[in-house]
Amino acid sequence: MYRYDEFDAQLVADRTRQFRTQVERRLAGRLSEAEFRPLRLMNGLYLQLHAYMLRVAVPYGTLNSEQFRMLAHLAEKYDRGYGHITTRQNMQFNWPKLPDVPDMLDDLASVQMHAIQTSGNCIRNVTCDPYAGATAEEIEDPRPMAELIRQWSTLHPEFTFLPRKFKIAVTASEKDRALIKAHDIGIQIVKNDDGDVGYKIFVGGGLGRTPIIGQVLRNYLPKGELLAYLTAALRVYNRYGRRDNKYKARIKILVQETGIETFTEQVEAEYKTIDISDISVSDAERERITSYFAAPDFETLKHDPSEFTKALEGNRAFSLWAKNNVAAHKASGYAIVNISLKPKDLAPGDITATQMRAVSDMADTYSFGELRSTHQQNLVLPHVKQSDLPALFAELEAAGLAADNINLISDIICCPGMDFCALATARSIPVSQAIAERFADPERQRTIGEMQIKISGCINACGHHHVGHIGILGLEKAGVEFYQVKLGGDASEDAAIGKVTGPGFSQEELVDGIERMVDFYLETREGSERFLDTYRRIGITPFKEVLYA
Amino acid sequence: MSTLKHKGKGPQSMTANELRDGYSVWLDENLDWTRDFSAALRTEDLDLIDRMQLKADTDEKANIVVGIYFIDIETESGMPVRYREKFRVNGPSYDTADLLEAK
Ligand code: SF4
Repeated sequence: MYRYDEFDAQLVADRTRQFRTQVERRLAGRLSEAEFRPLRLMNGLYLQLHAYMLRVAVPYGTLNSEQFRMLAHLAEKYDRGYGHITTRQNMQFNWPKLPDVPDMLDDLASVQMHAIQTSGNCIRNVTCDPYAGATAEEIEDPRPMAELIRQWSTLHPEFTFLPRKFKIAVTASEKDRALIKAHDIGIQIVKNDDGDVGYKIFVGGGLGRTPIIGQVLRNYLPKGELLAYLTAALRVYNRYGRRDNKYKARIKILVQETGIETFTEQVEAEYKTIDISDISVSDAERERITSYFAAPDFETLKHDPSEFTKALEGNRAFSLWAKNNVAAHKASGYAIVNISLKPKDLAPGDITATQMRAVSDMADTYSFGELRSTHQQNLVLPHVKQSDLPALFAELEAAGLAADNINLISDIICCPGMDFCALATARSIPVSQAIAERFADPERQRTIGEMQIKISGCINACGHHHVGHIGILGLEKAGVEFYQVKLGGDASEDAAIGKVTGPGFSQEELVDGIERMVDFYLETREGSERFLDTYRRIGITPFKEVLYA
Repeated sequence: MSTLKHKGKGPQSMTANELRDGYSVWLDENLDWTRDFSAALRTEDLDLIDRMQLKADTDEKANIVVGIYFIDIETESGMPVRYREKFRVNGPSYDTADLLEAK
């Protein structure tokens, strides 16, 4: 894991000190709300529907156990005993009090964390493949590059007041677990024909009210040129992005209005004006950053050791969990463990302070003290010995974290919606719970197979509904919530925006309609088709017929 | 920051959020802020509405509350008209904190 150098530490300490005096001045009346609001937002503090909300940055979704324990401490001391993992891999606290927030930021700084750039029209927290450094699918660990972007973009004076917020996601494998094509800029680590490692850059993707899949800006960018090239792209956006209409201010609209060819020409022209050596990072510095992400000392282990295979045979609950929640690791005898935060009785992505501490202990015992948050609102222990999986499973069960539903119908992405969010038009948590309840039977879930349901409580689409196999958007008319359905969205490397089926439903009608579609899919699927595959094969019409039956 | 002046229909209540704790509050009959909506003043009396506005403006300037505005109230139920405001009154329909407290 990256450790702050003195500049990072100084910067975060300075910012926390500044914010403390800003809060003091606000409470003493020396700052008006109009003056204070942008300052608190720069530090991740929102005023939501019922209370303040603090959004803590989890850079590229990587945490160590000490940091996660600190989040547990914040949840318990300053909030109401839990936190919420967001679809940007961050953690939100729903009930902090203004006078406490500077103390919270001090506590965060003590473990090298902060809430900077989790709001505002700046470059937001970079998101990343949660399997980074653990999967054999990647060309190299993408986190050193993500860290480089974090350092470059933190309080970047030129890009602090962009036309609108700017989100970057990175991955290093063909399999996309970071939704890179739905980001302002998505970066994929690739190799060119000569075998050199570099970057493929996507631009102009995004969800929100105008969902667009990103397009290729550069097929191959040499490694040393990343920051210079990002600077060029950001400059073009900063110059031409629309500031007259906030709904048209994201880079995706600029790319659409300009056309990808012209936009690319503009970026390349700007790029030519930049002295790369001015911005680029030396190999030595890149190596220094990379060294923080060096693989842990993996032991030489046998694949599928007997402790593991015996437990698979003898313990059905373990075997089902292992089959569904555990992924292949690059090191023999190790595994990547997904911890589902979608048990039936908690809101998607919520985790209690007690559970956070338990997971921190598990990370220490089984995963070199490391864990990850995912944009699917789950957690990952990246480096677990296969032989330790039975013991880990027992601890997860004891902590109420052994739900074996990763990527199944009850592994729902869901934003806070009207239960917390000031911008919401409808609730989303009760909808996710009603769906999870309807499909509670684990056997049925497994029969259905991979299914991604994603729910947003308003058009801003934080719940990624546009890219759900089934996407649900909560709306309101005349005081009544209703839910619009999209079908055929895809958050993977084959990213696609779902199609709206038609008029919306009440929550009850919605759950019935989803059940009819799922039953229809089970009758209609061929071979090992997923819901999405069947949808692609036969199209939207038959699904609409059963949805509106 | 004062946002909406009174331009609603029917009975009105004045609402805001506490500056320190952030909680939703409403003006009660004594023109004090309450977190309990059932104690909120709901009135069509224009003089009273003027006094509510004045009190809210004063308290916003005194940094007691933020984001003051009037909300329309349904005559029969006494509840806010707008769906969003009903939610502010009732609090989250689901909050993990409640589950923890119940335990
Ligand atoms: S999608 Fe809307 S309701 Fe949900 S968190 Fe985002 S802004 Fe709030």
